[in-house]
Amino acid sequence: MGEVDLNFKSSVPTFDACVALGRRFNRYVRSDTLEGLITTMDRAGVDKALAYSPHAIDFDTVEGNELLMQQIAGEPRVVPQFVGNPTYDDMDAFASQLHELAVRSVRMAPATHRYPFTDWVVGDWLEWLASENLPLWLDSKEFDPTQVHDTLKNHPDTPVVFSEVHYTQAAWSVPLLKSLPNTYIEISRFVVPDGYQKLIDKVGIDKVIFGSRFPDSSMAPPLYALHRMNLSDEDLQAVCSGNLERLLQGQR
Amino acid sequence: MVNTPVIDFHTHVGRWGTSHMDDSPEIFLKLTDAAGVDKSCTNCIFYGDARRGNDIVSRFAREHPDRFLPVAYVTPRYPDEMLPELERAFGELGAKFLKIYPTYYQKPVDDPGYFPIFEWCNDRNKVIMCHSSKVAADDILTLPLSFIPLAKRYSNITWVLGHSGNGMLGQEDAVTAAKECENIVLETCTSYAEHGTIEFLVEGAGEDRVVYGSDAPLMDPRPQLGRIATSDISDEAKRKVLGLNAIRILGLEN
Repeated sequence: MGEVDLNFKSSVPTFDACVALGRRFNRYVRSDTLEGLITTMDRAGVDKALAYSPHAIDFDTVEGNELLMQQIAGEPRVVPQFVGNPTYDDMDAFASQLHELAVRSVRMAPATHRYPFTDWVVGDWLEWLASENLPLWLDSKEFDPTQVHDTLKNHPDTPVVFSEVHYTQAAWSVPLLKSLPNTYIEISRFVVPDGYQKLIDKVGIDKVIFGSRFPDSSMAPPLYALHRMNLSDEDLQAVCSGNLERLLQGQR
Repeated sequence: MVNTPVIDFHTHVGRWGTSHMDDSPEIFLKLTDAAGVDKSCTNCIFYGDARRGNDIVSRFAREHPDRFLPVAYVTPRYPDEMLPELERAFGELGAKFLKIYPTYYQKPVDDPGYFPIFEWCNDRNKVIMCHSSKVAADDILTLPLSFIPLAKRYSNITWVLGHSGNGMLGQEDAVTAAKECENIVLETCTSYAEHGTIEFLVEGAGEDRVVYGSDAPLMDPRPQLGRIATSDISDEAKRKVLGLNAIRILGLEN
């Protein structure tokens, strides 16, 4: 008979690299509050979560980032990630706000914000991110891989995390990671067979980052799968939290 | 850790290079061993020639009879072949149930072209699993609500809604269908997998009418199984979803 852990919790320090916090305008999600997020983190054994505002993606970065800070006020386990729009936000003001609030990562949404991910649009932002060792998150449904490749190869010092990479994007995602040394992958949607192991083998353990895409996906299942890989505790902890902690501290 | 029967209701065999899907029993079993799966209900729905697909499934089941449960496949695109292939698949090849996939056939599930299949299965009290989905406006071939009249008309069939409608909109309709028809069962695999899905399905359809599936080896069975194992339902409900319900529905030995 199958051996199953019906009361699973992560066995290592765990930091979720992909959480959206807040209501959506076009649909209901089953968790949109800080309380719901914390309850889910406790059930899964997740210590910390890196959260962004979906309002900042769908409508306005300034208001969305403010909403996020209001929602997580006083909760150190939820780490804010700001969404930036290089075609609308003032980069210097955005940078000042990040400094003031000690925010250590940025997310862009080129498709939703209607711009190509090209040097002549995002180049100065990529240079600024590199100058401060700030990692950039890009949701894989938000970009064209050729544009991203051709742009990022000119900005090798900008750390970039490809998030929510779907299994149907496996054909190009691994070659993209291999061709750009300062890129990483968040695994919430990479559910190809033995996909986590393939990523570790092909791009290296230090490039693979646990994220759940909560609440659009459940938080615990990718963790459960990671714990069924026979990884050493050291490697498991690297994927579950160490690689993300390192990136947010500005280290490679 | 607990030892409990785990039956994966939804798996495939056959090469599918465009989706990087391997076709090796060894790779498949390595994955299911890692996940803790005992037996996998396996179909091959990738060919216009159903006989070819069923033969591939049969090869897996013959080589590993303790691990693979063969699932039949027929296509309404070749109506003259449907009933003879059903006879062969359920007879000579020992199929446990039938899988149909209207999205591949590009015929809605309530198209009359399927009716001879449904009548054959209804006369023999068979189980049919069908892809079900409602995630976009043009996703109309397998709407969960369209199974209600089918389940009422062909009431001897146990209808298993693969993916339980996929995203949240589809899940809501799948639960509505299950509440309306006692012969509708919901299967769990999906790449949408919103937070709270398993809890919603079990609350709506009841813990006796939800079955675990993974879509392996298109998807890794571990995260899909983890959706059940880590859900906020009772341990007994988890054991039912993971395998006990499939054992009952398919008449397997426990």
